[in-house]
Amino acid sequence: MTETPSFSLISTNKIIQMNDVWTSYDSKNFALSGVSLSIDRGTNYAIVGQSGSGKSTLLKLMNGMMTPSKGTIKMDYQTPNMNNKTFKKMMHTIGYIPQSLGLVKNISVLDNILIGALPRLSTMQSILKQFPKHEIQEAKRILKLVGLSGKESRKAYMISGGEKRRVAIARALMQKPTILLADEIVSELDHVTAREIMDLILDAQKKMNLTAIMVHHDMTLALEYANRVAVIKEGEKILEIGVEGDKIVDFQTGDMSIEEIMEMHNNDAKE
Amino acid sequence: MTPKNNIVIAIIVGLVIVASYNVDANPVDFAEGIPNLGVIVAEIFVLESLIDDLKYIPTALWAMLETLQMAFIGTVIGVVIGLPLSMLAARNLNSKFVYAPTRALLAVIRTFPSILWALLFVIMVGLGPYAGVLAIVMYTIGFVTKLQYESIETIDSDPMDAVSSIGVSKFQLIRYVVLPESASHLLGQILYMFDYNVRQTSILGIVGAGGIGFFIINYIKFFEYGKAAMFMLVVLITVLAIDWISVKVRDKYIIKSQHGMDVKSK
Repeated sequence: MTETPSFSLISTNKIIQMNDVWTSYDSKNFALSGVSLSIDRGTNYAIVGQSGSGKSTLLKLMNGMMTPSKGTIKMDYQTPNMNNKTFKKMMHTIGYIPQSLGLVKNISVLDNILIGALPRLSTMQSILKQFPKHEIQEAKRILKLVGLSGKESRKAYMISGGEKRRVAIARALMQKPTILLADEIVSELDHVTAREIMDLILDAQKKMNLTAIMVHHDMTLALEYANRVAVIKEGEKILEIGVEGDKIVDFQTGDMSIEEIMEMHNNDAKE
Repeated sequence: MTPKNNIVIAIIVGLVIVASYNVDANPVDFAEGIPNLGVIVAEIFVLESLIDDLKYIPTALWAMLETLQMAFIGTVIGVVIGLPLSMLAARNLNSKFVYAPTRALLAVIRTFPSILWALLFVIMVGLGPYAGVLAIVMYTIGFVTKLQYESIETIDSDPMDAVSSIGVSKFQLIRYVVLPESASHLLGQILYMFDYNVRQTSILGIVGAGGIGFFIINYIKFFEYGKAAMFMLVVLITVLAIDWISVKVRDKYIIKSQHGMDVKSK
């Protein structure tokens, strides 16, 4: 699908712009085939799709861990590539939470959070593990914010699944991010914990004026929390909707009701 | 058992027989040699000489202490030099242009057994324990780095990717992800290396590189089997003790932390 994006490249409001992006893990199969996205600054953007639809690949492209085989991506006007020095600086403020969370198991919760501050430390300070006082205070403040007070000295392998997610969020917030990328951060969690975590991100997003791009498996959660939802199926964006309360605006086929969207999503899930 | 497996087994058995013939490894000769062992044992257990040999226990203990110190210095310095090299040799941390030459260098170092390193250093720095220490350093560098870069390569890639995505430096990645995640393995390997080095250092004296082996080889040369046996007994007890201690340390601090990773989520 080669959709022409409806944005101008000089628009200051667009923080992420993907134009006709194709990518593959091997030479034969495309993980993404011609996806275009345009995300406004401060948006809570959700990407929904089944397993293997290419939604995690989208996040990896945004933080430069992968490069597209065709098409262009701009993150705040820069092309993501983790080997590029200029973009590496930008990575300091892109919070990325992979599905596996990527916590360092054998260090404490506080140390995991402090990892987010590493780009602000000199090599010597990092080797000697001498974090400035204000960074430690900030880490403790975030620790409290995510509801983990009193657990700072616990090793990361000793805490529960929900707590691990909070640590991963805290590490990302410690980066003082402008963009937050989270890959199925609440999947496999019970409804109550999932909502607590989502509320936490929503709260942080508003306070820090973050642009959050979250990959979800669950359409209900995406519709509940996001301003925009893109649906990815087999590497293509098949739908992009704006959400305002219970009103949904479809940018491709006109307005749809939540029931219609859900029905469509459920049908996809059954396939 | 598939026919293919049978063929492989037949080939291996065939090769062992051919090779044994080539090196004159005849089981009959072994059986015939057993009585010679009896002669040595009989010489060792002459009561008078046994009592006489007890005088040499302090010498044996001092020689063993020297051996332990050599092994200790060699292991520590070998690890200090080896650890950065293993970081350079790990494929998940470096490009091919860095890890390939490092691995080649380490492979060359590993080619020589410690006794050959000891010979080389005896020529360089003269007879004595210093040559032995240098030999152990070289052997440790070659051996421990291989164990360590292999452990580093088995680290879970998730935290590596997540932390790399923050744009941290290589030093920071090593300090905050690689070392903590592989620490239990690395420590286990260092303990194993020390354990192994004590055994090795015990024989370096054969080429004049100090330690208890120097005494053992000389007693054997002069047919003083009783003294040689007593010195060997000291080595045996020391090695067993170190083995026991390192098992305890591994159980208490290392295995526990590895199991810790499996603690179930609440």
